[in-house]
Amino acid sequence: MTEPLPDRAAGAAETTSPSWSRRRQPLTRARAFRISVPYLLIFPVVAAIAVILGYPLYNLVKLSFEKYGLFELIRHSGTWVGLDNYSSVLHDPVFWHTLLRTAVFTVVNVGLSIGIGTLLALLLVRVSAWVRILLTAGLVLVWSMPVVVAVQVWYWMTNFQNGVVNYALTQLRIGDYEQHDWYATTFSQLGMVTTLIVWGAVPFIVVTVYAGLAQVPSELVEAAEVDGARPWRVFLDVTFPILKPIFLILTSLSIIWDFGVFTQPYLLIEQSRIHASNFLMAIYLFEEGYFKSDFGRGAAISILMLVMVAGMSVFYVRRMVRMGDVE
Amino acid sequence: MSRRRRRARFVWNAVGIAAFVVMVFPVFWMISTAFKPDDEINRLKPTWIPFHPTLTHFRDAVNRPFFWVDVKNSLIIVVVTLVLSMTLAFLAAVALAKFRFTGRKLFIVLMIGIQMLPPAGLIIPLYVVLARYHQTNALTGVIVTYMTFVLPFSVWTLRGFIIGIPRDLEEAAMVDGSSRLGAFVRILLPLVAPGLVATSVFAFITTWNEYIFANVLLTDQSKQTVTVWLSYFYGTSRHTDWGALMAGSTLTAIPVVVFFLLVQRKIAFGLTAGAVKA
Amino acid sequence: MRARIIVAALLTAAVAAAASTAATAASKASAAKSITVWLQTDAQADNWKPIVAAANAQFEAAHPGVTVNVQYQTWGAHLQKFDATLAGGTAPDVIEMGNTEMTKYMAAGAFQDISSSKSSLPNSDSWLQGLALSGRYGGKLYGVPYYAGSRVVTYRTDLFKKAGLKVPTTLAQFQAFGAKLAKGQPKGFSPVYIAGTDWYFAMSFVFDYGGGIATQVSGKWKSLLASPKSVAGLTAYKTFFNAVSKASKTTDESHPNPYDVYAQGQAGSIIGPAWFSCCVGKQYTGVTGQFVVPSHTKGQVIPGFLGGSDLAVPLGGDKALGVDWIAAYTSTQSEKALQAIGNIPNSTALTNASKINERAATRSWFVPTAKNWVNVENGNILRNMLAQILTGKLSVRQAAASAGDNIESILNG
Repeated sequence: MTEPLPDRAAGAAETTSPSWSRRRQPLTRARAFRISVPYLLIFPVVAAIAVILGYPLYNLVKLSFEKYGLFELIRHSGTWVGLDNYSSVLHDPVFWHTLLRTAVFTVVNVGLSIGIGTLLALLLVRVSAWVRILLTAGLVLVWSMPVVVAVQVWYWMTNFQNGVVNYALTQLRIGDYEQHDWYATTFSQLGMVTTLIVWGAVPFIVVTVYAGLAQVPSELVEAAEVDGARPWRVFLDVTFPILKPIFLILTSLSIIWDFGVFTQPYLLIEQSRIHASNFLMAIYLFEEGYFKSDFGRGAAISILMLVMVAGMSVFYVRRMVRMGDVE
Repeated sequence: MSRRRRRARFVWNAVGIAAFVVMVFPVFWMISTAFKPDDEINRLKPTWIPFHPTLTHFRDAVNRPFFWVDVKNSLIIVVVTLVLSMTLAFLAAVALAKFRFTGRKLFIVLMIGIQMLPPAGLIIPLYVVLARYHQTNALTGVIVTYMTFVLPFSVWTLRGFIIGIPRDLEEAAMVDGSSRLGAFVRILLPLVAPGLVATSVFAFITTWNEYIFANVLLTDQSKQTVTVWLSYFYGTSRHTDWGALMAGSTLTAIPVVVFFLLVQRKIAFGLTAGAVKA
Repeated sequence: MRARIIVAALLTAAVAAAASTAATAASKASAAKSITVWLQTDAQADNWKPIVAAANAQFEAAHPGVTVNVQYQTWGAHLQKFDATLAGGTAPDVIEMGNTEMTKYMAAGAFQDISSSKSSLPNSDSWLQGLALSGRYGGKLYGVPYYAGSRVVTYRTDLFKKAGLKVPTTLAQFQAFGAKLAKGQPKGFSPVYIAGTDWYFAMSFVFDYGGGIATQVSGKWKSLLASPKSVAGLTAYKTFFNAVSKASKTTDESHPNPYDVYAQGQAGSIIGPAWFSCCVGKQYTGVTGQFVVPSHTKGQVIPGFLGGSDLAVPLGGDKALGVDWIAAYTSTQSEKALQAIGNIPNSTALTNASKINERAATRSWFVPTAKNWVNVENGNILRNMLAQILTGKLSVRQAAASAGDNIESILNG
């Protein structure tokens, strides 16, 4: 049998045996094979990524230290300016406002996505089979909408002249929303973007959590219920611990995606309304770096974004890595 | 079923249906608009259900230049990316979840780190690399690009599913005593099937819907993907044909639905297997 | 079993991908030569396609063995794609650029100098001044004028007749139409539908009152937006908008398309290119007319923004073939065809004063020819300023001053 990760008991045994005794074990062909198996397994992935992303990553870092505009792009060479790009970005008040705005935006989006997604997954367990099929079919339909299409539909539904949302809200007497401009203020613009993103993110969350719920042994749940535990207590004590790895993945992925989201806000707010007052980080990167053809600056912003996202997800990532060890 | 249980079930069903209506409304609106005649689309008072449905928008969309070619391109790109990525990612995820080896932490950091890269930052350097090997304006160039984005989160997600399998399920499945690596993988596969399917559906959707890289890398309209094809509906400063755009959108969404229908049985199988084992 | 399926699928897919790449390689090898032309997707319209096809046929007849590969781009993404091709060395042989986009790329050296071919280009001695300027930099010729556009008023003749209104001769008259046309119409009806941030139209007011956007003073750009004349123009725009338009104050001139609003019966008139008359809806086609926007001074036309496109040969493209294709596409015959479908042709030898869009272009304004101007456009400085003014977030003076500072730092940066 190939070498599985040791559990707690075995791990204790392994660490107490002195290292010199391990070295004394002969390097048989079988043993060499066992050691090399994991490397063989990860080799294709590492190779694929290294070949394609290796140079672009190196180039990205190099560019961030160079003055590289359209002029330099055409001549394929830039001039070294050290930390000037970083300094210029970090001294730009727009950068800091955008960062704050994006952080708040990310928290709201991630929270709503995972919250609503989990609730729907739990709902799926509790409904009759036909409702489950209906809801799952609906989620698949939502999930299969290309982002660019969803944006167009959103724009169409919320448009100033004859959007169905304005019509419905007015008819339901929630207020006079006739000719309401949903894109007049930054808050409203980002609010619309949030509804779009959460709506699009929920299906994946539901499917993943639901698949995870399948791994929860039903007799544990039933035992807890028989003991008289309330549903949310059952969730916290039985379901959640088993689903923890999945929640950690979903949260870290959602943070990464929502912090760097580009297509939805860019297309929904529309290129003509994008302005420093409603920038999100990825849009700031695109506008400052690529629209202005200042690629050195764009690269610096990319690296800064990478550092920030890494910082935000380090808590979850460390938990995930540690979880794998304990298992 | 007890009365209390029945009432609870009724309430849950009602909530489920309400959730369905809210979630699906935009999709419904898209499909409904695709079938509405132009005057109904532009009217101030919305027509909820088209009572005079028309197929002209679908005809217009399909007859737009390069529709079928671009659909073919999308299918090739997505299927190849999916198959290659799932295979490679599964192997790597097994290594990560089941083995301890030097460099493991580094590999994990790499998998997560790559997902944190803002794609916009990579467009031009990636284009330069691909241009060097004549992979711009080529499907293979797009495939390898998509693979590098799909692989990290697939590895990451699959690892989570593999770890999540309760030990006793795994051990019960291994009672046969198979000692070869192949058998080990073959036993693990059905247990992680729901996770594999969820990940592959997501990979399918991500690559099918991707726009930014496909747009920059593929300049020839005969090589573009169907997502880029859609952008020509609203990228012009002239008339936006909403009916045709919605019809085109509906058409581009169909393959994903089909794919999900094909694999949903696997999810169900995985679920029941888990329940039976317990 | 599963493994076998996977392997089979992999092989099939790999073969398909390889086949498609092989086909590309094969077609590259078999075609003796081909040139790549990037045109904007506007040229894919049914009435425009034949003009492109005719130019291709003429070119291919003169250059046997060379095929023309036209690739259509969208306005939103084409510059990023162009940048990528410049970086990768795969730029097209001919590219269509918006006239406001030219300066930045000319200054960076993205195009080949075609000054020596000027005399061989059709009508080059009578190119429209405004357009021709956008293709020149540092005394050299880089861009060939392709076509231009202007703005006119498309209006409902029946509504005007009912309210007893004639074609206005001054802005003040036009503004007064607002109250008369709105009578009896639903709440959202715009006597003149103007999108709030339509800076192409709004800046016409600024220039009409003698103001401007920016000017170069001893090598540095100085903003004119906060000058009294410009502020007067912007204030006049705000008054005009509030009197006649119920459009969103923060939206631009293509979301929604004004003619869609018109076709819904929500507008008494719209301001835009003359070809808007194509799409005013079946029920209003018979009661639609056009007139030029008057100035605030009687008897004059308001200065209009002379939008348009140029054709250039990027670095790395085939200069000889590229110029020949451009010559075929901007031939007198071709330009006349473009004129027939509602564009302004590139030469005064071809202009026709009976065409309303050309009359509107008799007074025109253009953006500062600075290499960073495109960044001002992309940063939506002017649009944001208009939104702030119309929503009342800032006073006209404050908004103009803030936008002016922004513009100065971008143009000089």
